[in-house]
Amino acid sequence: MSNSILGPYTRTILTLGFIILVFGFSFTNFRSDMYVVIFPFFEWMETTWFGIIGKTWGAAFAFVQTIHLLGLALLGGSVLAAEGRILGLLMVDVPAKTIVNRCHTLLSWSLIITVLTGVFMACGVALKIYYLPVFWYKMLALVSGVMFHFLVRRPLLEHDLETINPIILRMTAISSILVWFLVAATGRWIGFSG
Amino acid sequence: MNELIYGVAVWLDDTMYSALLHESYYMYNWVESTHVLTLMVSLGMLFLIDLRLLGYAFPDVPASKIADRLFVPMIIGFVIMFITGILLFYAVPVRSAQSLWFRIKMVLLIACAVNAFILHRRMSESVSSWDRDSRAPSRIRVGAWLSLGFWSVVVICGRFIAYDWLDCIRDQPALIDFMAGCIDGQTRY
Repeated sequence: MSNSILGPYTRTILTLGFIILVFGFSFTNFRSDMYVVIFPFFEWMETTWFGIIGKTWGAAFAFVQTIHLLGLALLGGSVLAAEGRILGLLMVDVPAKTIVNRCHTLLSWSLIITVLTGVFMACGVALKIYYLPVFWYKMLALVSGVMFHFLVRRPLLEHDLETINPIILRMTAISSILVWFLVAATGRWIGFSG
Repeated sequence: MNELIYGVAVWLDDTMYSALLHESYYMYNWVESTHVLTLMVSLGMLFLIDLRLLGYAFPDVPASKIADRLFVPMIIGFVIMFITGILLFYAVPVRSAQSLWFRIKMVLLIACAVNAFILHRRMSESVSSWDRDSRAPSRIRVGAWLSLGFWSVVVICGRFIAYDWLDCIRDQPALIDFMAGCIDGQTRY
């Protein structure tokens, strides 16, 4: 990483640049143009097997929602355990590196579960969520969360934790908790909208 | 018994705060969101403990440490879920009391509590002999599997409460009507 032109902060800078780009995109006409262009994709989603099953068989949709919630519970547990350890609130007598690494595996699996079930659910109500601003907020939060976790937090915590500024560590942990709870909260609010 | 439950539910439904809570878009949704999002704290911690016992998480950390250190946040999560759950029931008492899914959920919550008590007692008795093993002994693992299974079905039932497939207002087989506690001639749903 130190060979990079931007030094050890390459991925952090790229991620921040991407997030700024997304926000910039949100306030330009390009966004409204894209919004129209992707409409057929959402129409197509409802015609897929996932879409047909989700729309016509309510019990299947509800069951997949439950798996989504269970994945979310595991995701929340792994985030809170890891960040709680970094913040010195949980399992302080266990090496932080051990907790952080083990929780990373759990978070990755829970993310796979929630994304797969989320795609199924999105297919069932594609045209509804297309018009919901909160769905797009959730997508923005999700992409930010995934990028933050894999491109900023994970590479940072691969270093010896003793060598990292404690304030940076705490800020990373708090940001991680906030971003994942934001993803969950915006997801829940989709159910109340439309 | 079903008449008594129905009577209490109707009485709750007639109270002012039940109507206020139910009719408040933001308050009701905040309570429901808190109930669901607290899953990440309560069930999240519970899953980590159960997965540790099964050998799928933190195999290099003593099981007793994981169980002890995550117990407090897990209980805090469950307390918040319990309080918000009572509020959700209070907001829609008649329909909730006559929901078959709600009734199954309540029975399963009792099963979860009994299983947790037994699992905790068995762990306390024997943990010193297997604390550092990556997997707990089989009788402890059975308890962990039951915990995961019961709680998963609790979440399924909780999710299904929102759907009206088996509500008393619909025509249902007599068995469903009986299990849901539907009353002949009831006027409130």
